[in-house]
Amino acid sequence: MSGPALRIRGLRKAFPKVVAVDGVDLEVARGEVFGLLGPNGAGKTTTLEIIEGLTPADAGDIEILGLAWRDRGQEIRARIGVQLQSTSLFNKITPREALDLYGRYYPKCRTAADLLALVQLEDKADAYHITLSGGQQQRLALALALVNDPETVFLDEPTTGLDPQARRSLWDVVRRMKAEGRTVVLTTHYMDEAEALCDRLSIMDHGKVIATGTPASLIADLELPSVVELTFEEAAPDPAAFAARLGQAVERRADLWEIPTPDPKALLPRLLESAESVSVPFQQVHIRRATLEDVFLHRTGRSLRE
Amino acid sequence: MLLWRQFVMEWRLYSRDRVAMFWTFAFPVVLLLGFGTIFRDGGGPKLSIVRVQPATPSDRDAALDKALADLHLVVQSLPKAEAEARWSKGETAAQLEPDGAGFRLRLNSYLMAQAGATAGLANQAWLVAQARLSGAPEPQRIPVQVESPGHKRSTNYASFLLPGLLGLNLVSMGLFSVGMVNVSYREKGKFRRLAVTPLPKWIFLLGQVLHRLTVTVVQAAILLLVGRLVFGIQNQGSFLDLLLIMTLGTGCFMAFGFALSGFAETSEGYAAISNLVFFPLMMLSGVYFTLDSAPSWLQHLVAGLPLAPFIRALRAVFNDGAGLAGHGLGLAIVLVWGLAAFVLAVRRFRWA
Repeated sequence: MSGPALRIRGLRKAFPKVVAVDGVDLEVARGEVFGLLGPNGAGKTTTLEIIEGLTPADAGDIEILGLAWRDRGQEIRARIGVQLQSTSLFNKITPREALDLYGRYYPKCRTAADLLALVQLEDKADAYHITLSGGQQQRLALALALVNDPETVFLDEPTTGLDPQARRSLWDVVRRMKAEGRTVVLTTHYMDEAEALCDRLSIMDHGKVIATGTPASLIADLELPSVVELTFEEAAPDPAAFAARLGQAVERRADLWEIPTPDPKALLPRLLESAESVSVPFQQVHIRRATLEDVFLHRTGRSLRE
Repeated sequence: MLLWRQFVMEWRLYSRDRVAMFWTFAFPVVLLLGFGTIFRDGGGPKLSIVRVQPATPSDRDAALDKALADLHLVVQSLPKAEAEARWSKGETAAQLEPDGAGFRLRLNSYLMAQAGATAGLANQAWLVAQARLSGAPEPQRIPVQVESPGHKRSTNYASFLLPGLLGLNLVSMGLFSVGMVNVSYREKGKFRRLAVTPLPKWIFLLGQVLHRLTVTVVQAAILLLVGRLVFGIQNQGSFLDLLLIMTLGTGCFMAFGFALSGFAETSEGYAAISNLVFFPLMMLSGVYFTLDSAPSWLQHLVAGLPLAPFIRALRAVFNDGAGLAGHGLGLAIVLVWGLAAFVLAVRRFRWA
């Protein structure tokens, strides 16, 4: 037991038309839940698939649990758990059979019954894979990632396409993994997920890591850690006149304006006064703490969902 | 044991795909029923000749018709216009027509095998007819008999077809279905999840080969049973020898399919590659026509290919009741090709 759960140096991967991973360094401590947050196409999945041994890298060093892929590949495979972004199993295999079968590939394995209970899939244990819903297939994929009782688990967008309730129950499974002492590395493009689950995270964009830290520290590092929002009944109007009057930058989103500020208390009276003088037909005022979304916006000038 | 688990799971998943399974087993049976029915009675395809009716039939015409019938040629006598129409449609193999004072034979260049045999008989018939007309003694004919390389004369042509059918079906299953399924599964990402487990590739592949092998044995058993019940076709040799040959052949051509699938990125690509291998293998095997006129370097090359020794051994055992004694070298060739193909398959195999 030496070294961190994961250490990556200078990882690079170029595809014919795009550089997917452009010099990524990461270090994940044992027992940590670590997130890779970024928009689609940021290079999160490619990074993860290189780490998992699915895609060869063009350059860079990877060490997992102190082992290198070159000479200890089989041992790494035996000790990590993987959930791919989409897990395509044979159409007519049942969850119980799949867990049994995959378990046999490993030196040690957990029972299908345990795993089915863990992801609450007991009532679908003997249904064909093709008949499972998206959420059920995702839960089975998660159970498969745990079949070998792994020390480090890699989850690629584990909650994409799930309804809110299914996402919550999946979060519980991830928290349980952490409680059991496993290291979890996950990718997501949901900032609320990253905030709720991750001890630390790296924000990725265009194949590069643009910030790393705990969710709280990343937000605290922002110069403007609070945001005042003015919401409108319909599409938000052009804020130029208002911004000029207020003397502060205003971002227009679909049906609201966002005004990042270091001190909402001081801003509020000026804001109301400005709104009145240029007659802004806003409905409500919200004051909120900045989120990882704002961190991304601040660093890239773009929204995560764009 | 892991290999056994893999094998059992392959069978279990396979047995759930009812439609695919049904056709795998039914297709060769349908083929056998088709061919068996066509050639049901007698020793092979009947030879027939179209006779263009003369404007005014003479003694010579009558004598020739009689002689043709004596030589067991099926004669279709048609007026000139009808005969020409039939010829143009390409249905006639050989046509005998008046030419001045004598006759002329027209042979269809697309059906030379039948036309050639028919022409030989027609010429003999004409010699017989001439002798009869002149009162001379009838010319003696050299007797002909049809038999297998193992000296078996079956009255049932379908029984000669069965081993060839068995072999060809097996080769096409190996090269087309197995390899194609492999490529399309890879395309759909069905193997990606396996790639991140410690499962060795060779166990995965060997599990599949063993599964297909047993599928083929079941398939062959069904075919033999149908052949026996419907057409009374019997295996003349030992079933153990037959099983051994089938196992070697299946293993070899399955491994071929898996090896080839490692060279194709897409199903379309695989279709091209497998045809590229299948057709030369079949054409050059010397099983379906001889290569006597091919250049000698090609004949040497072809002697080392696995299809011909496999089909020869299969026919010898099944039709002639021969043992494996004379086929050691041939079966060794099949084995070596199979092992080489399997090693190549494991080396080229990619999960994704």
